Amino acid sequence: MWRLVDLVSRMLEPDERDAVRGDFAESRETGGQALRDVLGLVVLRQAGLWKDWRPWLTLVGLVVPLGMLLSLVSRRMAAGSAIYAWLYLNNWDWGYVQNPGFRHDLAGDMAAVFMEYGTLICWSWTGGFVLGSLSRRTIWVNRALFCLALLSVECWGAPRFLGRLLLLPPSYASGPNEAVFSGEFYRAAFPWIIHIALVLFPSLWGMRQGFRRVTLPLPLQMILWASAAATMFALVAQNLAWWQVRTWDTRPPYLPHLPSLMPLAIVGPIGYMLASAIGPRRRALKENNT
Amino acid sequence: MLGEFEYLLLTAAARLGENAYGAAIRQEIEATTRRRCSIGALYTTMDRLETKGFLKTWMGDATPERGGRAKRMVRVTAKGIQAATAFYGAVMRVSRGVSWEANRTAVRP
Repeated sequence: MWRLVDLVSRMLEPDERDAVRGDFAESRETGGQALRDVLGLVVLRQAGLWKDWRPWLTLVGLVVPLGMLLSLVSRRMAAGSAIYAWLYLNNWDWGYVQNPGFRHDLAGDMAAVFMEYGTLICWSWTGGFVLGSLSRRTIWVNRALFCLALLSVECWGAPRFLGRLLLLPPSYASGPNEAVFSGEFYRAAFPWIIHIALVLFPSLWGMRQGFRRVTLPLPLQMILWASAAATMFALVAQNLAWWQVRTWDTRPPYLPHLPSLMPLAIVGPIGYMLASAIGPRRRALKENNT
Repeated sequence: MLGEFEYLLLTAAARLGENAYGAAIRQEIEATTRRRCSIGALYTTMDRLETKGFLKTWMGDATPERGGRAKRMVRVTAKGIQAATAFYGAVMRVSRGVSWEANRTAVRP
């Protein structure tokens, strides 16, 4: 029970957490009473934060749209890569490997799929990092609502108005790809695997790092915010135009072939990793010199 | 005008003087009112009173009894004393002549 108390008390500010845990130690309360007390305090504190307009703006402007957009992109990537996975894995014959054309196509398709997966991971991390940085005091509630927004599209689909607004293409499950999605694995389990591995875990990791970030140098802050803005733009634009162009059967003749979004997506995470690696070394060097 | 719980907190803190901190105030309120005092109500009320300028709080020293954790010390300000005095005076005036005020000696333990 005391472990639960410790876990819940992490939602308090450090000073208050210290004082409350000290009060429990002094008053010799039972674990159950302490849990009730600390839950009550946490609920009152969180409710107090949400009286301000800023958490609501973050919720409506960032948490929900980002969660839904990432979920939509993840669904489409899962559907697209499921077709390739079915083509290669479910119809595998070692004899094909002898054929140089097959090897060329396999390498190209795998590279394209992994580039897309990498892009999605970077987008998810960047989105989570921004959320963690912006909503530090309401991080617990925003984290839960973000997960709910992420999972709601997987469970219930996107609202119709969002589908019309973002020009979402029809489902892959019908037409020529029916064979792929007739099985339970590619229809139900595979999208969840992609969603959890490439969206949920990276975004939670990004949120944790955004929440714990120490003061970053100004150039890195600018890079991260530019990366975040590019991520949001790319997530929306993907649904509107880029996806339409990149799938071979819906390419309008008047639109050019657009490049991959991967280089744009990795700027934020790479910049953060570099700063995290270089920062402590520079500080240690300064301390040695002084 | 102060609320009931705000008055209880200010009074407990004033009585405890230099030893006024979260857990001690809570024990004092529970002993006086014979009701359980929740930590949530206590700390949010302390914040509210501090915002109004009736209290000053700061983090005190850690002690072994508290598992090496610091206490949140409390001191009632002059403005807080004025507010508590006004509340007490109002309660006394409004209670004059009512049955439970007149029967005070009968119900005292």
